Amino acid sequence: MITQLSMEAFMASNYRKVVLGMAASMLLALLYGHASAAEEPVADHEWARFLKEKVSFSGFVENTTGLSISHGSRFFSTSNRFIMNRTTFQPEFNVELADWAKFFISWRFVKEPRYNAEANSRRSAVNPKPVQPLGNTFYDEYSPKPWEAVLDLKPSDLLKIRLGRQFISWGETDGLRLLDVINPQDGTFAPPLAPNLFDLDETRIPSWGLRLTYTIRPVSNTNIEFVALPGYWDEPKQRVDEILGSNDIRSEKVRYGRWSSYPETRIPGALGGVGRLYGNPSGPVPVVIPQVSRDLPNAGDSWKIGARFTHAIGALNFGLGYIWGFNPQAGDMVFKLKGKGCLPPATGPQCRIGAAGPFLPTTVNIALVNDRTSIFAGHFNYPVGDVAGVPVNTAIRGEVAFYPSEPYNISEFPGRNCATGALTGLIAGPRCKRGVEDSDSVVEKNTLRYALGFDRTTLIPFLQEDPWRPFRLSFQFFQRAIFAHEDGIRVFSTANKIAKISTVFTFRASTGYFGDTILPDVFLAYDPQGYWAANPAITYAPSWNERLKFTLTAAVFGGKDKFSFPGLLSEKDSLFLKMRYQF
Amino acid sequence: MRIAHRNLIVLAVAVMIFVASSFVPSSSPAADAELKPGDTIGPNNWQRIQGMVGENFLNRVKGGHTLQIKPGKVYRHLKEYTDATDKYSGKVRLGANGELLGYVAGQPFPKFELSDPQVGQKLAWNFFWRWLGDDYKTGGAVKGGKIIRSAIEKDGAERRADLVSYFLFPRTRYNSDPRPAIPGYEHIDYMQLRIDSYPRDAAGTTTLEIRYSDPNRADDLYIYIPSIRRIRRATTTQRCQTLAPSEFNLDDINSFNGKITDFNYKFLGEKKMLANLSQEHFPFHRKQGDYLPLDEKWEVVDTYVLEVTPKDPNYCYPRKLLHLNKVTYDTHWTLIWDKRGEYWKEQFGMFTPVKLADGREVWSVGDVTITNVQNGRTTIVSATRAYNRGYPASMFSLATLESIMRGGSIE
Repeated sequence: MITQLSMEAFMASNYRKVVLGMAASMLLALLYGHASAAEEPVADHEWARFLKEKVSFSGFVENTTGLSISHGSRFFSTSNRFIMNRTTFQPEFNVELADWAKFFISWRFVKEPRYNAEANSRRSAVNPKPVQPLGNTFYDEYSPKPWEAVLDLKPSDLLKIRLGRQFISWGETDGLRLLDVINPQDGTFAPPLAPNLFDLDETRIPSWGLRLTYTIRPVSNTNIEFVALPGYWDEPKQRVDEILGSNDIRSEKVRYGRWSSYPETRIPGALGGVGRLYGNPSGPVPVVIPQVSRDLPNAGDSWKIGARFTHAIGALNFGLGYIWGFNPQAGDMVFKLKGKGCLPPATGPQCRIGAAGPFLPTTVNIALVNDRTSIFAGHFNYPVGDVAGVPVNTAIRGEVAFYPSEPYNISEFPGRNCATGALTGLIAGPRCKRGVEDSDSVVEKNTLRYALGFDRTTLIPFLQEDPWRPFRLSFQFFQRAIFAHEDGIRVFSTANKIAKISTVFTFRASTGYFGDTILPDVFLAYDPQGYWAANPAITYAPSWNERLKFTLTAAVFGGKDKFSFPGLLSEKDSLFLKMRYQF
Repeated sequence: MRIAHRNLIVLAVAVMIFVASSFVPSSSPAADAELKPGDTIGPNNWQRIQGMVGENFLNRVKGGHTLQIKPGKVYRHLKEYTDATDKYSGKVRLGANGELLGYVAGQPFPKFELSDPQVGQKLAWNFFWRWLGDDYKTGGAVKGGKIIRSAIEKDGAERRADLVSYFLFPRTRYNSDPRPAIPGYEHIDYMQLRIDSYPRDAAGTTTLEIRYSDPNRADDLYIYIPSIRRIRRATTTQRCQTLAPSEFNLDDINSFNGKITDFNYKFLGEKKMLANLSQEHFPFHRKQGDYLPLDEKWEVVDTYVLEVTPKDPNYCYPRKLLHLNKVTYDTHWTLIWDKRGEYWKEQFGMFTPVKLADGREVWSVGDVTITNVQNGRTTIVSATRAYNRGYPASMFSLATLESIMRGGSIE
């Protein structure tokens, strides 16, 4: 059994090995490149020339300031408040080591100055004590560890190897991820369904690993690709999506954050509370308190391996792939029941203090976990020109992901006593199996997810000052189908049903005015069950400086109630101003 | 009466001459063929170059811009191109829809009669299959190795963007083996990779465009988008859309990038034009916020004037004039009108000699300037090429797109 401390030491040691290995590779490539060039003595000026000609530097500085504008919501009572002031500095270096070797490295530094409105708002809402909201420095990033550090090797024209901390993105979708689950995503600082605020490149978390691509037949883009991400060089919380769930997580590994749902959105205590989903009371006190922890994957568990084959037949481009490993997606996490007990100092089957003392509530220990999974993946894209003389002019793209035995939380609705079968009068209770409470609370179901996207550019002259500047339109359709669906499969916090077929539509439109100095972009998402999100943005790119950009954007959520995503985020409706300088 | 009759005849002859002169291409009433090296043209004698430059450029000369005339530069084709022309051109012919049949390599129609009713179509194919090397890197022949694109607003504000572009002609190879075609690529006319490198947010955006020989098959266009790190497919059938913030559209690249069989062509005549075949500075010197070259000299070249009209009535350019160099078939001036018949865009390209690896001199485009005379915006692209770099066909594949890093190169 490896202790936490020794594991960290082990990781640190391996991290050092990676750095040393990268440095050694760079040095070797450097020496090889120079030796093969002319076998001239390496003079100081050559190093200066190398730095000038082979090393390029770029990056950006960005400030994002956000103001929550949810005051007056019919669902929530929170005030307008300062919700974000994030300053990011990201330097990036490209080094051309040799014809066959290139190196890219970047760092990300983030600072959010102290501001208290958000924390105070949370503090007043968070109950029970002593669980506290996140500290004001939670979003700061000072780590000297590279954000990305990749060594690209090309041993031949057909073989490409990428080693290091990197992003690997499969799939075809925009705004929502389907196959793009190899890298986790940081949902702590960025709201979901708001690609105009922080795009995927800003919210993905890079992972250490290897990517290998071999081109079998270039003319038909026939490639095989292999990826392997060991995981143990990544920080535990960066092995999976970083998303802050409900505020009652006591493990202190993950705590209440900017985009975590408001406590009101959970199943109310009067209706049984979250604890009732996992166990009925042991004693006469009709309260079940959840003791929640977050299980981040252990180093040895978090391997991820994938392979994919891509090919083109005529204009049809497609690929088939397979991913095995930890599923990092926040939406796929489940609570696993780890045990049932009594609120201390009560003990025994009746949760009583001593033999004749008062009865106390029951507790359930539940851990929020990611599961290891297999994903069978497919994707395609195909451009359609004219169909029967009609100018369709649309690129169609699609993705499919099959998750065998995907875990879901399951409970009994309405709640009942498993032994007697009598209804408890509460909204939910633990699932009953052969007359006893299910000790698992998780059911595995084959799940199919798929998406279709349609992209086209359209001229709308009456909306443009340049009639030939097109609007870029994108429509997407996502569905998830759960095979052998059961009624008790519900969202763990709100007990809202997860339907057998769930659907989301997205629409995005963008264009540019006045020589692309004014760039509007609107992203909309809609769930036919009655929830929606909107992320309109307008960017000003001054005609006198290509390095500057100013974006005003909003992330707005809504729906028929506050209990399902994305409507539960309507308490977070916010306006943002992004100022970005590239260099 | 007799005198009056003579006057009528004189008048009729004059009218005939006037009418005949109206068939001379473009607005070229008084081109001065007597321009000599060392002549300076400016607001006082702009008439001497009238019709030899675009109308917008001429207006700038009228308004004060001056330019100097220099001796012409002679260009000769590479022997390999001439040999291929000699070897293969005899079997080349036009199909019923203007498609090229029996073509292998070289200039498709080295010999033609100007009175041939199909001469326009033949000139168009000669333009399309002009010598462009086996491959080239645009931006490759200048310090820094990048294309510099400047988008200039009417008020003089400027934005810069850097990029590189790689072309491969897999079925018309003159110097690199396998020749003349890479096996398996005989159905592809060209493949282009274009990589943005500055500013940072655009850096890494990469397009792969493939032009197929089949006149009925649309180009393939893949775009790698660094902000999502994925490849997106795009349709190429809407070729008129502005590639903002530039004033180019897909078919304006290299003066005319349309699929040859999508257009009709009419030969309008031969004409002397001003051009610069040996550009001296890259990019050319100019005032900040303006697009006129300050210290470049111009020479007189012989061109064919080719009118391009679309088969698709909804196409953006109902009329485009190309002025093709009689030797190289590159375009010096490209003039465009809109559907109302109003002058819309004016494009001129400068050229420069560059050297192949074996030291032989060939001709490359230098800076290209396109001005939208209706909105006042101009785009300048400094685009000198390095030819025959030996790029493998595998470089022009989706695997390459996925290997791009921001600001990185692919060579």
